[in-house]
Amino acid sequence: MSQVDRSPKPRGIRQTMSDLHIWVGLLAGWILYAMFLTGTASYFRDELSRYTRPEIATPSTLPDAAAVAQRTVTAIMADTPAASQINLSLPSQRMPWVSAMWASPGGRGRHGFDSGLFDASTGAPLQARDTGGGDFFYAFHFNLHYMPAMWGRWIVGLCAMFMLVAIVSGVITHKKIFADFFTFRWGKGQRSWLDGHAAVSVLGLPFHFMITWSGLVMLAVLYMPWGLAKLPDKRQQAEVISEMRLFLPPQKAAGHPAPLTHVGALVQQAEQRWGTGAAGSVQVQNPGDENARVAVVRAQSSRVSTTPNYLLFDGSDGQLLQIKEHSGVAADTQGVLYGLHLGRFADAALRWLYFIVSLAGTAMVGTGLVLWTVKRRAQLPDPQRPYFGFRLVERLNIATVAGLSVAMAAYLWANRLLPVTMDSRAAWEVHLFFLAWAAMFVHATLRTPKRAWIEQFLLAALLLALLPVLTAMTTSHPLWHALAMGDWAFAGTDLTLLALAALHSLLAWRTWRHAPKAKRARPSAASRNAVPEAGA
Amino acid sequence: MSVSRTASVLAWLPLVSRILAALFGGYALAALCSIAALALPIDGRQAVFTGMLAGFLLHAGAVVWVFAVRSAWRAWLGLVIAALPLCLIAQTVGDGGGA
Amino acid sequence: MIHLILFVLSVAAFACLALSMERHQRDVVRRVLSAQATQQLRAMGWALLVFSTVFAMRGLGVGSGLAALSGHTSVAAGVVVLAMMAHARRHR
Repeated sequence: MSQVDRSPKPRGIRQTMSDLHIWVGLLAGWILYAMFLTGTASYFRDELSRYTRPEIATPSTLPDAAAVAQRTVTAIMADTPAASQINLSLPSQRMPWVSAMWASPGGRGRHGFDSGLFDASTGAPLQARDTGGGDFFYAFHFNLHYMPAMWGRWIVGLCAMFMLVAIVSGVITHKKIFADFFTFRWGKGQRSWLDGHAAVSVLGLPFHFMITWSGLVMLAVLYMPWGLAKLPDKRQQAEVISEMRLFLPPQKAAGHPAPLTHVGALVQQAEQRWGTGAAGSVQVQNPGDENARVAVVRAQSSRVSTTPNYLLFDGSDGQLLQIKEHSGVAADTQGVLYGLHLGRFADAALRWLYFIVSLAGTAMVGTGLVLWTVKRRAQLPDPQRPYFGFRLVERLNIATVAGLSVAMAAYLWANRLLPVTMDSRAAWEVHLFFLAWAAMFVHATLRTPKRAWIEQFLLAALLLALLPVLTAMTTSHPLWHALAMGDWAFAGTDLTLLALAALHSLLAWRTWRHAPKAKRARPSAASRNAVPEAGA
Repeated sequence: MSVSRTASVLAWLPLVSRILAALFGGYALAALCSIAALALPIDGRQAVFTGMLAGFLLHAGAVVWVFAVRSAWRAWLGLVIAALPLCLIAQTVGDGGGA
Repeated sequence: MIHLILFVLSVAAFACLALSMERHQRDVVRRVLSAQATQQLRAMGWALLVFSTVFAMRGLGVGSGLAALSGHTSVAAGVVVLAMMAHARRHR
């Protein structure tokens, strides 16, 4: 990209945009791949959270939300009389238990909060193995790990901005974006990889653009806080932030005890207003005090925008104090973007579409990374001894595109096999994820590239395929039973793992069958699903 | 010897300049935009969101611009020209500015 | 049910649009269709897309409908590409 043009004519816009696209894609590619794959898995976060806690039985019916709320609040208040705040999320089809957090002077967690899961029917605390469940992939997706969340978010944000530039530059450089819309040329080496990369990129373009822009917007308070800082007073700033995350102004306790009003009745009011099952969570401030407040928040599953909708009640007499159901246009736009990114409003069919298109986005990044090496391998003066940068990219590609699957499967293996009584069990599941991933990096440097690809794909296929076996052997939710019961959190996950195992086997096989493109045209299959052109 | 080394280092300057323009100049432009948005004749809290939403798109556009134009000088010039009106507007947004 | 309909409509739409392009006509039907047929296919494809959009919005609401349609069109386009690839491989 030399500006001092020694070439006879200036580089055209398509060429400079191609260079830009390749650079931003390469620099951010491996982190973006990890973000995309863990993000894809996060669309089934709730299901994974259930899959990883097999000792919690799947209830057959969903009890009445009002009764659940009342039971849970009563139970927590009985157990922790000094609780100053109680937040609980009501059970849903996808998450049939109550997840609660409560703050008290003796609280052991962050900001003095304890947390736990509660049975929806009985209000009793649920015992389950200490695990991050689906929350690990979700949190890793934007916080990364082993670093302060802020750092992770800045890195992720930088990569997201690189992605946005990659999208714009990619569209500009793709000269025949309409003419080539349905084109895929098979068996033509680099050309085929380019077609495959273009296909997953262009066909999923609305999603990819939305997910990238919305991802940046979701953390805008971190990346672009300048306008917010210029607002005249703190109250207005808090109002802006509360459109993005539910934030009830803290209420000081009066110090005079007063019995908490019947929370269930308040939830009932909310359901009458919004519909059955539309109440998502309940927040109680200063329970048992005169200045108690209860907020019933609308479920994310019933609307696209994430701008909080809630009913705020006085906690001692149950009087309705505030209705928040509207936001301004810009706040709503942000809320819709946020909501589209999370996809919590999606029903089962739409959720699967999210998953598939997000997987295509992952393939977009993966094919792009591989395309880089395919293109440059043809230009290597000595293919047996590539330059350092090439070797680095090739090995990083293997360890990320194939290795991350191994790591994610290893996390689930750890979930199944680590002893329940182990200390820091949840943390160790995560450590094993990273240890497996690190092992894949080491493996990728020790083996020749082609063997490394094949072996890592095969290992991933094996780990994924054996997970349903592990589940059948160590839990009371074997696949056949889950299918018979219609328990889709378990059956669906097991079946998806088997399908992913098949996919990885296919990738391993295609890689094994592949021979690098020689001078004469050989049927070296190069679909987007196959065969990195690796040296033997 | 040292002359050609200087020359080869200097040859990288335009690229480095563009990268800086893209990363920091583009970000500064987006930040200015997010502040200038408060001057819009809409509620301040809505303006904050408008500025955020537009800011990221503007940064991405600025990056593309910086690498699309023919020289690093033009890249910076374009950013400055775009920044000037935003800067002026942003000045009017003091505390309590905006509708 | 509505999802099935949206998906089928999307596949049909993209099949029409694909076949309205010369190079794909050559691949699939082994000849270039008449200008009139090409135009009709293109019009049909777009009409199906517009119809799907309206259908989705009415059936699922504006937000969810557009999101659902976006997903269906992406996957449907991919299906059409894969189908043409499979066809090309079989008739090589």
